[in-house]
Amino acid sequence: MSVNHNMQVLVVDDYKTMIRIIRNLLKQLGFANVDEAGDGTAALDMMRTKQYGLVISDWNMEPMTGYELLREVRADDQLSRTPFIMVTAESKTENVIAAKKAGVNNYIVKPFNAATLKAKIDAVFGE
Amino acid sequence: MAGRGGSTVKRRTKGRSPVPKAETGRTVSEEITVLMNTLRELAAIRSTAEDAAGRILQSAEGLLAFADKEEAKKAEEAIMSIMTACGFHDLVGQRVTKITTALDRVIATHMKGGRGRRVEAAASKRRSKIALEGPGHPGASQASIDALFSEN
Repeated sequence: MSVNHNMQVLVVDDYKTMIRIIRNLLKQLGFANVDEAGDGTAALDMMRTKQYGLVISDWNMEPMTGYELLREVRADDQLSRTPFIMVTAESKTENVIAAKKAGVNNYIVKPFNAATLKAKIDAVFGE
Repeated sequence: MAGRGGSTVKRRTKGRSPVPKAETGRTVSEEITVLMNTLRELAAIRSTAEDAAGRILQSAEGLLAFADKEEAKKAEEAIMSIMTACGFHDLVGQRVTKITTALDRVIATHMKGGRGRRVEAAASKRRSKIALEGPGHPGASQASIDALFSEN
């Protein structure tokens, strides 16, 4: 599976600043089709009406967290295969393991840089 | 007038326990006011950080458009570095939220009745269903997370 730079990417974060940063990084990496959502509920609604090639989500959001979004996505037959990267400051090892068990494809710790984001996207798509 | 004031003080304290004071010399009510003011300061910090991050990002986005052709790659890397550094706003916000939640609990403990319950309810609303740690001291490194993900 190679990276399709034309795919739709959904960025989910309750901090507008982080969405803006990730959107800019994605643009520099060649991904122009980026949508954004402020929490898991909004993201799930968007995913049920539009097909996304990749979801990049924060964890700590309300009312639906990134972890809850991940579980909803993996439990949904239509969405379960969507690549999902968690970008979060969550440092508790048990929570990282919980995300892995729930089926997250990769995990980026904030603060991060463009090289890390690129490396994780490449890894998810097997490059 | 001094006599009236003095007798008033005597009447107020007669038959009642003195108002309990903390080690700081302030009453519980005064301590709560201090904590409330601290919460307002924390909200202001968050707002200031958000505003600063927004303005830095706007400048960096503007610079990207003007990056010199020959030095474009270097300029682009520097600008991207400025942009990712703006993530400080998110981390500052999460740490401030942790402090705010802790202060809310302290205030709710000291407050009796409906006001205390309202503060506690607001604090509960901010707490996630899963116990999140947020940014650590120091936070987990990307390398340690990568190691977890490489395990089967």
